[in-house]
Amino acid sequence: MANKRSASERVALLIRHFRREWQLYVLLAPTIIWFFLFLYKPMYGLQIAFKDYSVFRGIEGSAWVGLEHFRELFHNEQFTRAIKNTLILSGYSLVFGFPMPILLALGFNEFTRAFLKRTTQTIVYLPHFISTVIIAGIVISAFSPSVGVVNLFLVKLGFDPIYFLTKPEWFRPIFIGTGIWQEAGFSSIVFLAAIAGVNPSLYESAVVDGANRWQMMWRITIPSILPTIIIMLIIRIGNILEIGFELIILLYQPSTYQTSDVISTFIYRQGLQSAQYDLAAAAGFFNAVVAFVLVLTANTISKRVSRTSLW
Amino acid sequence: MISNMNLYSRGDKFFAVASTVLVCIFTLSTLYPFLYIAAVSFSSGFAVTAGQVTLTPVDVTLAAYERVLADPMFWNSYKNTFIYTFVGTAVSLLIIIPGAYALSRPQLLGRRYWNFIVAFTMWFNAGMIPFFLNMRDMGLLDSYFGIIIGFACNAFNIILLRNFFEGIPASFEEAARMDGANEFQVLWKVFVPLSKPAIATITLFCIVARWNGFFWAMVLLQDKDKLPLQVYLRRIIVELTDDEEFVSSTLTALYSFETVSAAIMVCSIIPILMIYPFIQKYFNKGIMLGGVKE
Amino acid sequence: MIKNKLSPLVALVSALCTAAPAMAADMGHLRIVEKPLNLTVHLHDKKFIYNDDWPVEKEAARITGVSLTNVTIGNTPDSNEAFNLMIAGGDIPDIVGGKNVKDNINRYGPEGAFIPLQDLIKEHAPHIYAQMQARPDVFASAFAGDGNLYYVPYLTDGKYGRAYWMRTDWLDTLGLEVPENIDELYEVLTAFRNNDPNGNGKKDEVPAFFRNWEEVFRIVTFFDGRTSGSDTYHDFHVVDGKIKHGYIGDGYKTGVTHMAKWYKEGLIDPEVFTRGSRAREFLLSNDLGGFTHDWFASTAGYNDSLKDKVEGFKFEAIIPPASISGRRLEEHRRIPIKPEGWGISHSNQNPVESIKYMDFWWTEEGRRLANFGVEGELYDLIDGKAVFKPEVLASDRPINSQLTDVGAQVRRGFWQDYNYEIQWTNKFALEGIALYDRGDYLLKDTFLGVAFNEAEQKVYDKYWAGARTFMLEKQQAWVLGSSDVEADWDNYLQQLDRMGLGKVIEAMQSAYNRQYGT
Repeated sequence: MANKRSASERVALLIRHFRREWQLYVLLAPTIIWFFLFLYKPMYGLQIAFKDYSVFRGIEGSAWVGLEHFRELFHNEQFTRAIKNTLILSGYSLVFGFPMPILLALGFNEFTRAFLKRTTQTIVYLPHFISTVIIAGIVISAFSPSVGVVNLFLVKLGFDPIYFLTKPEWFRPIFIGTGIWQEAGFSSIVFLAAIAGVNPSLYESAVVDGANRWQMMWRITIPSILPTIIIMLIIRIGNILEIGFELIILLYQPSTYQTSDVISTFIYRQGLQSAQYDLAAAAGFFNAVVAFVLVLTANTISKRVSRTSLW
Repeated sequence: MISNMNLYSRGDKFFAVASTVLVCIFTLSTLYPFLYIAAVSFSSGFAVTAGQVTLTPVDVTLAAYERVLADPMFWNSYKNTFIYTFVGTAVSLLIIIPGAYALSRPQLLGRRYWNFIVAFTMWFNAGMIPFFLNMRDMGLLDSYFGIIIGFACNAFNIILLRNFFEGIPASFEEAARMDGANEFQVLWKVFVPLSKPAIATITLFCIVARWNGFFWAMVLLQDKDKLPLQVYLRRIIVELTDDEEFVSSTLTALYSFETVSAAIMVCSIIPILMIYPFIQKYFNKGIMLGGVKE
Repeated sequence: MIKNKLSPLVALVSALCTAAPAMAADMGHLRIVEKPLNLTVHLHDKKFIYNDDWPVEKEAARITGVSLTNVTIGNTPDSNEAFNLMIAGGDIPDIVGGKNVKDNINRYGPEGAFIPLQDLIKEHAPHIYAQMQARPDVFASAFAGDGNLYYVPYLTDGKYGRAYWMRTDWLDTLGLEVPENIDELYEVLTAFRNNDPNGNGKKDEVPAFFRNWEEVFRIVTFFDGRTSGSDTYHDFHVVDGKIKHGYIGDGYKTGVTHMAKWYKEGLIDPEVFTRGSRAREFLLSNDLGGFTHDWFASTAGYNDSLKDKVEGFKFEAIIPPASISGRRLEEHRRIPIKPEGWGISHSNQNPVESIKYMDFWWTEEGRRLANFGVEGELYDLIDGKAVFKPEVLASDRPINSQLTDVGAQVRRGFWQDYNYEIQWTNKFALEGIALYDRGDYLLKDTFLGVAFNEAEQKVYDKYWAGARTFMLEKQQAWVLGSSDVEADWDNYLQQLDRMGLGKVIEAMQSAYNRQYGT
């Protein structure tokens, strides 16, 4: 119907729209202005991924090198290994780490004693506030071959102690486990909020119908928080090439590089001699493009299937 | 409100016990790091460096706290952290809530594009130097205002809240619309009260991000009197770390950089623990209840 | 912008300087300018940044008439980050220096950010010039790839760094002698492991331990291998003017083979790779550790601090056990020149005064000020020698920290005086140093680094990080026993060649030849 309208009619429509809805644009303005001033304006800096960047010459003064940095990255066997490791680590933490906060939130929801519920919720988010250095220190001592609890346990069970942190095959479980342990509690807050937003009258009518807790979780709670889960999942998929750099640096060893060396640690070592902003920007650009393609795909699928989308 | 007790059938008991046990085990394990730093903060420097502290303090001493609390810079940075956190969070909410609301409205022209502009920044960012130069060009270096406004917003919080707003059924606002409410009133009187859990969540996220943030404060601030607690903590750690080459004072001193930094961490975690219950209460209520008309 | 903000401050500081009491008559020859001159400075170190209030800075301003105003960016502990932000901001202060500035200044100097100093020094800085003439090899390493000198370096004094340390009281307990060679070392460590020297009835001793896991590889020097030629781990070294890398040498292969065996037998700390910086405190204070390779000053200190905590504790420096060929080598030494110091930026309006000011720190008075602080504050001048006051030596605060607090021993371009340190080195360390002095075990040709030209730099950037990563991966795998040196060796060499290690060495060699004129 609308597509046959003439230009002047459309302008008139627009004017009418703004006259009626101007308040909406007033509400939107601060956000958009902020994003342009603080995030979009400095984005001209992204071009250094394609330049031979010198801090002294500045962004404009540095010469273009085209895809040189990308070529350099992809010709490096260690970089391709880093991509592989990043994907595997991210993939596992997606599979094991993503459901964990949801399960925690659902678990809290089943608690009947308010005190227990409140206390446990407060405790699980504690590790989020403790610096990664200390978290890593605790992990290193827990897995120490001589005094670590894990090995003491193994020895009690009649096994030989294992020097976990130098074994490439153990790096992934330890890293992912640590990540879950540190962040699952804090990440569960989003889902707790979503569960709190579920309309209680739904539960009331379910009780009338004789549903048990298990059924209510599956039929009411989970479907109600599904949009939140999907949004979080799409965002998480977008971050698939980003891995907690600090924790890896603290936990990895040359002997575990084959499983632990990820894109960010690779760039860190590559730039040992100087701050190689251009190379890091190229890697960041690559990350962002991959993230973007993945998010676009996930978003499209999600929009078709569940009508939930990021934009 | 519904009483949880009568919801339980016999078969549910097992389910309830199982989930309680699992959550409790996980919870106890997450308590450990905090107990550990608390124990370290009350131990002597020697006991810590000799690796004797695991769960309870050894050679109990308040030396680390004395060292920290006697430093005027500690109190000053504590004050600064409160300013950055509370003013910063208020500014964030003032931008985020209206923005998320506008982005959730179906009648917003070009809504998809606006949302895209916000989401796009989750993956593309300018990098350290351009961001720094941009802040400098706007005259926002070395100022409280720069730290507060420069980090006021982020895509994640906006999307989270927008998503929650979108889930609120249109029926809730109809009554207000009939009474002739404008957008500001609909947002304030209908959406905000209905979205308390979501607003509580993003408030918490803003508070925590402010409370823990240190990198940009470190880079953008020049004046020592404006530093937040986390930057102060890092300075202390660097300052007290012993020189590889020279005699370490930690073996004889009552405090070491481990105990002092643990003491600062304990001091910095406690306020944020105290904030949580205020936020938490919004997670435990059936928020929608009041809004539903029977 | 920063400059504008600071200009009232600058004026204030200059006013204060003129108001200062008239300089002592005998210092008159050190006056550089009649009218006080103020320059801006960026000087960043991990632990501190330049401070206008340092007594040392004020004294220098009083004597020379030149004062510095600090404009160092950022509260970050990372000097590189601070440097890059400063350069990116565009307003480069008059004088720039601090920790690890060599790479940065030599990178941006040729691009025009800093001015070449060699001619200025020749003309206006006689004291620096005299040192350049006296030690051309040392100064050669400070030059940039384009043949210019862009910064006045910080020269260290004193040569001893690390030494081998052993629980000599354990030796007595077990009736053993100090090991003279590698075979005896092996026997001693085995005895530490098996014969319960700490007498607690448990086999919990950790014979050889290291705070930095990189140190464990010094063991290959007992098998005539090498690990590094400088004070940087995994660095190259020079033999008769030829650049080499220790990790592709034959001694290295033999050494690592033995290390794997030692590790398996429990002679090397099983947790050596993850124990970290607290290894020494932990293992010594719990009466567990027997042998290490560590700094003289800090390690000797345990004899005092653990005197009452561990019965009979005696941890003494031993001379390096002879290698399989009879070589006794202490591979680690302090390098004579640090990649630190300060340079003059292109926007500096007073380069001549600036270089004269830098030269001041190399005069007798200036050098004493830079090393010991202001006379009468921390030290007294006794018979022409600076002697720290007793309360300074007795203080709880480490002496090097007391010095940096007042602005002495900070990374400006100056010449250190080892006398500053010897006064508070404890007797175990002094005995150790004397022991090492007698035998002259210290590495002779230190590798001070090379200045690449652009093409060489490209080769280095492209290949070195990768090759290094690969070498480190392999060395750990070999020691841990997850892979076998003997079986891997040929493949390892081929792989490194494919990864461009040969090209890196070639590039270094050509830079080396140009720089040191061989």
